[in-house]
Amino acid sequence: MLLATLLCYAGFTALCLSMNRHAEDLLGAALSGARSRAARWLGWVVLALSLWVALVSLSVGQALVQWFAALMGSAFVLVFVMSYWPRLAVSLAAIGAVLCPVAACIQLLA
Amino acid sequence: MKEGFRQAMAWLHTWAGLVFGWLLFAIFLTGTLSYFKEEITQWTQPEIVPHEVSDAVAAERGQQWLQANAPDAKRWFIRLPDERNPDIALTYSPANGGFERKSLDSVSGQPVQGRESMGGEFFYRFHFQLQMPHPWGRWLASVAAMVMFVALISGIITHKKIFKEFFTFRPRKGQRTWLDGHNAVAVLILPFHLMITYSSLVIFMTMVMPASILTTYGSNTSAFFDDLFPAFKSAPPVSETAPLASIVPMLEVAAQKWDGARVGLITVNNPGKANATVALGSNGADHIPHEPGTSLVFNGVTGELTQQSSMTAASLLLAGGMYGLHMGHFAGTLLRWLYFFAGIGGTAMIATGLVIWLGKRRLKHAKSGVLPFELKLVEMLNVASMSGLMLAVVSFFWANRMLPVSLAARSDWEVKTFFCIWGLALLHAFGRVFFRDGRTAWREQLILAAALYCLLPVLDMLTAGSYLWGSIRQGQWTLAALDLTALATGIFLAWGAFRFRGEGQSVIASKLTPTGSSRKQDSRQTLTGGSELAREGVSEGTTVQEAR
Repeated sequence: MLLATLLCYAGFTALCLSMNRHAEDLLGAALSGARSRAARWLGWVVLALSLWVALVSLSVGQALVQWFAALMGSAFVLVFVMSYWPRLAVSLAAIGAVLCPVAACIQLLA
Repeated sequence: MKEGFRQAMAWLHTWAGLVFGWLLFAIFLTGTLSYFKEEITQWTQPEIVPHEVSDAVAAERGQQWLQANAPDAKRWFIRLPDERNPDIALTYSPANGGFERKSLDSVSGQPVQGRESMGGEFFYRFHFQLQMPHPWGRWLASVAAMVMFVALISGIITHKKIFKEFFTFRPRKGQRTWLDGHNAVAVLILPFHLMITYSSLVIFMTMVMPASILTTYGSNTSAFFDDLFPAFKSAPPVSETAPLASIVPMLEVAAQKWDGARVGLITVNNPGKANATVALGSNGADHIPHEPGTSLVFNGVTGELTQQSSMTAASLLLAGGMYGLHMGHFAGTLLRWLYFFAGIGGTAMIATGLVIWLGKRRLKHAKSGVLPFELKLVEMLNVASMSGLMLAVVSFFWANRMLPVSLAARSDWEVKTFFCIWGLALLHAFGRVFFRDGRTAWREQLILAAALYCLLPVLDMLTAGSYLWGSIRQGQWTLAALDLTALATGIFLAWGAFRFRGEGQSVIASKLTPTGSSRKQDSRQTLTGGSELAREGVSEGTTVQEAR
């Protein structure tokens, strides 16, 4: 579930960056039109990927429950962090993305 | 969407939320505590020490004690110990009716007399029975659940920018922050809110919507429950006696049939009689759907498996799934904490909603500084239902440790303490709001509550220190976690009290103008926030006029 949680957080961060107002707060400037659209696509794809990751690692019931928990928890953490430490929000997503291969290995070995 | 419809929904959200908000706050807060029902019970009964013991040994001890002490009972229930329940809990119905309960130490097999306390059961019962006579409390809680559902749906419709403001929370902006917080906590954990509210209606559906059962079973509703829960169906006892077979081999059969899922509850019907039956129910921690109907029934004399039932009907599985999701018995430690935090989120959503209702109306009286009677009434109820309830909850824990162990009707006194403190908090709120101001009421109650929560760990160490250290030495963090949670709650309440410092006018009015110290960007947002707020205030005002 670690991998799915990291992906949820990264996905939400991408969606967030696709919105001009939040990109200004988090990066200092809004993304260009094409990049913003790319961030939106990336966000949705990564969120869908996290659901798939959850579904292949657990039984359907447990996967859905835990995925919803990860979804809600990561969105909540993101909003909390970006309200008080906006720069940290993107760094966390980057660190999470770097850790994804490690989490994937843990999930495959488990 | 037509603006008229949205306005109507805003009206519904505003007034349904206000009228039931205080009750819903109490239901959500005590319900949130109920996710740690067993842990709270363990804290309130420091006499019962947890040990590691196998199911077979525990079942054997339970059976031995009941055979020696309650051979004539009509029915026995043995609840086996697990990671959240330290004792072997025995319940039996003696021949003259009623129920008797006993806790056995899981190692010695001897009864342990925990101090008389309802523990977590009190918050759990209050959460849906509201300390009212049956069935009125359940009905009121069901009505509140329906209103909650209405408030959620109307809230979603009213929220114009659900996606655009999905990530928006602007701290330190007065009323704007309250509204952002209300929206954020509602939208970000919306799946939880919808699940918990809808499932609460499903749990009480046999009470609230009995039509489908009545058409199939007529007035014979007990037949419906017999079909649903075969473990509890029992024939009248026959006069011939026969010794009861040992339960231990039956546990082995269950382990094979259920693929490792543990047994939770053992029901013995007509023990010692020739037609005795033993029913094994699975432990709720092993699967998401609540499956009280999943059981293995054995012949109590020969010990052979006679009936095997599982909940396979899709409707039952759906209802059981909803029930299971609501109760969260299946949740491990991490998921249980997430349930707890989501519950706090729901409670906070209700609290912020109530604060916003008052804050918006207070704006109109900011100049004169005098609130009309009805707004004072709302403020009084806000204080009493929120900080007053926090006080009542912590006083329950204090009463558990301060009341003498030998006091007669002790657990009743704990409950009385809870309600007396809540009543006193209401009186205090009345006095302060009507004869001084609401800020003082909030501040004083929050300071007292903060002190009581922060000192709860100290009280625990003084009154049951060896129990606490003993459990930590065994690597069990349940009791320490409860103390630390109380400490964190106390710090949070102290922060809340700090926000109400000073005698000044309402925060909301003063926060509308940007302060010099805030950054440039901040002040820009404050101004836009203020204008949005003013616009909303106007539309709210028209809604109020329409309502009148």
